[in-house]
Amino acid sequence: MPHPLTAIRSTFTYTVLMIGLALTTLLQAGCGDSGASKHAKGDKADANKPLVGVSLLTLDNPFFRVIGDNVTEVLGKAGYRVVVVSADKDPARQSNQVQDFLQQGARAIVLSPCEAKAVVPVIQEANKKGVPVFTVDIPCREEGVKIVSQVATDNLGGGREAAKGMIEVLGKAGGKVAIIHFKQAESCRLRVQGFREVIDEHNKANPASKIDPVTELEGGAAKDLSFKATEDALQAHPGLRGIFAINDPSALGCSAALEKAGKANSITIIGFDGQPEGKKAIREGKIFADPVQFPDRLGTEVAEAILRHSRGEEVKPEILIPTKLYRQADAKDDPEAK
Amino acid sequence: MGSASMTLVLLLVCIGLSLATIDRVEPTGTAAGEWLAEETLSRFGQQATVLLVSEAGENSNQLAEGFQQVIKSQSRVQNSQVIGDPSDVRKALQAWAANHGKLDAIACSPAMADQLVVREAAKQFPALGQPEILRPAGSSWPRFLGRQNLLNIMGQIAVIAIVAVGMTLVVISGGIDLSVGSLVGLSAILTAAWIEWHGGGDNAGTSQMVLGSLIGISVCAFIGAATGSLVAWAGAPPFLVTLGVMLIARGTAQQLTGGESLAHLPDRFVWLGRGADWGIPNAVILMLVLYALAEWILRSTVFGRHLLALGSNAKAAGFAGIPVRRVQVLAYLASGCMAGLGGVVLASQLKSASPTYGDGYELMVIAAVVVGGTSLSGGQGSLLGTLVGALLIAVINNGMNLLGIDPFAQKIVLGCVILLAVLLDRLRHR
Repeated sequence: MPHPLTAIRSTFTYTVLMIGLALTTLLQAGCGDSGASKHAKGDKADANKPLVGVSLLTLDNPFFRVIGDNVTEVLGKAGYRVVVVSADKDPARQSNQVQDFLQQGARAIVLSPCEAKAVVPVIQEANKKGVPVFTVDIPCREEGVKIVSQVATDNLGGGREAAKGMIEVLGKAGGKVAIIHFKQAESCRLRVQGFREVIDEHNKANPASKIDPVTELEGGAAKDLSFKATEDALQAHPGLRGIFAINDPSALGCSAALEKAGKANSITIIGFDGQPEGKKAIREGKIFADPVQFPDRLGTEVAEAILRHSRGEEVKPEILIPTKLYRQADAKDDPEAK
Repeated sequence: MGSASMTLVLLLVCIGLSLATIDRVEPTGTAAGEWLAEETLSRFGQQATVLLVSEAGENSNQLAEGFQQVIKSQSRVQNSQVIGDPSDVRKALQAWAANHGKLDAIACSPAMADQLVVREAAKQFPALGQPEILRPAGSSWPRFLGRQNLLNIMGQIAVIAIVAVGMTLVVISGGIDLSVGSLVGLSAILTAAWIEWHGGGDNAGTSQMVLGSLIGISVCAFIGAATGSLVAWAGAPPFLVTLGVMLIARGTAQQLTGGESLAHLPDRFVWLGRGADWGIPNAVILMLVLYALAEWILRSTVFGRHLLALGSNAKAAGFAGIPVRRVQVLAYLASGCMAGLGGVVLASQLKSASPTYGDGYELMVIAAVVVGGTSLSGGQGSLLGTLVGALLIAVINNGMNLLGIDPFAQKIVLGCVILLAVLLDRLRHR
């Protein structure tokens, strides 16, 4: 048995420290935001503003941070209070977050689902309460859920633009190309589909300049795995002339592999996304071009959809934001590409 | 001793959060409907013109009924109602403006009152005049203490708490189990895989669901026993053994489905994870039963006594004739079993199984155990303490969500809580 004095001292210390912790927490809440949780700037009237809850896949990726910021800005101007949280790629955490939003009386929910199937029960809860649900970037196409609108990049169109870029570079000679994929994501599947469609059309019209996608390898949408996949592709197909990678981290992995093999000048890479690292690589000539996404437009479009729904106006069930092919010339003028 | 002070802390945090989350909570349902009708009559008299609007939510029918009961008695009141989307309300306002012209009041449910279609009604449809927007007055009540919120908290922590039962036993025995997170995922996948591939998927019967769940739980229990055997007979450090098992289990779960998730589960499968037959979520009842059972085992059985002795001093326990190896294997078997059960509950809550389920849970579970007062050096602890620890973590998470604290700061706060608990544990053992 511990000495009573020690026990009392411990309990006392405990209590004091915990009260201190609780107070610090309350103070932080009172002093407003610091980082990723955005409240529309306001004062006491904040509590009366209608709440919109936003749960995104992650806030580590700047792509999603920009989406969250834009939703907050547009809805804030319209008199809403927006709370943006990160699900940290955990479907259970996302489910809890949406539950908490509903508990707080949110008037709309915005989601980029970590896992389309796992988010079904909580979307159904929102449907039952009559709270409209919007998805951004990542869809939920499961049965039994009502989603007012899905806002995403036109990945199919982006894939087509990537193919046009590849055709432009390979020119009359045509040649072999590799695709570094990430089959798990619907967005990537659409990108490759668009790419192949345009390549097939080109080959039918110009059989002499045939572009042949000789291999399609898994790059894990990450630098390290794409590096390995590219090395394998180079070994299997020495005459490779081009590579299409489904996102920037993947494209950068390919670029590193080409540099190691000394083939950086003879093989063209086309990526996707337009993240700052990717734009820098385009400026340096390591990547030829990217169909870029516009996360700011994704954010504004979903916010506008919420406002239109609230006004009782028509909202399209799917809103696609087109990409734009971004080349070295574009990068030279872009401050983000430094 | 430890759990008493942690209970005090939990109480203090709850009080603090209640004070911090006082907010306007608005009534819905019959009472709100009656209030709207009475307000309409008192403001605009017997010949009032009013449109009742509400979203199609859980209490909207009661709202409309309450409203109609009061309004019916005044036959000269011209009224209409819309329960649905803002677009339905817009059409109704348009129709009213075209057919009737002026509108005295728009009686709204709290959610509909916030919609732009109502707030801008006068601007959009000038023919209505300046209809007054009526909205049931709210009362102040801490959002933290809302009945649904408290139920949410318990439901959200149920899986971690169930897994923490097994972890407590392992930690008391002087070990640690890092594999529980992966076992949660593996169990969920095995259960869902059985139901989908052999049990009939969406149309699976109860026996198939139970069989699938038992398969998931027993495989994890078996793995736990294997882990325990490695620790007991090979003398391998628990940290490393369970680290290896963690990776193997996670990889196996991912390979079984090629990384994809399984969702062909019958609707009735959510009974365990989301059902609430007696007002409290079923998963919470299961959790409480497990805690009571485990505490009884720890305090009142020979096994429990052996567990405490083993954790206190393994050598002395051995000399005293305690079957140390057997006790160790049983402890890890229990941990695996609880993790398996947690996986089944999680799959039931989310009506799907992904190989990434449970990712990182081992840290939250260990945190619950440590915060609850069980020492990582073993030999002492209680299930009640772990329950308090799990509740404290859940309450802090929920409170931070309600207060809108940003997710990065939430991690910092949780980390501080764990550090404090460990520090105080050290203080007590000086």
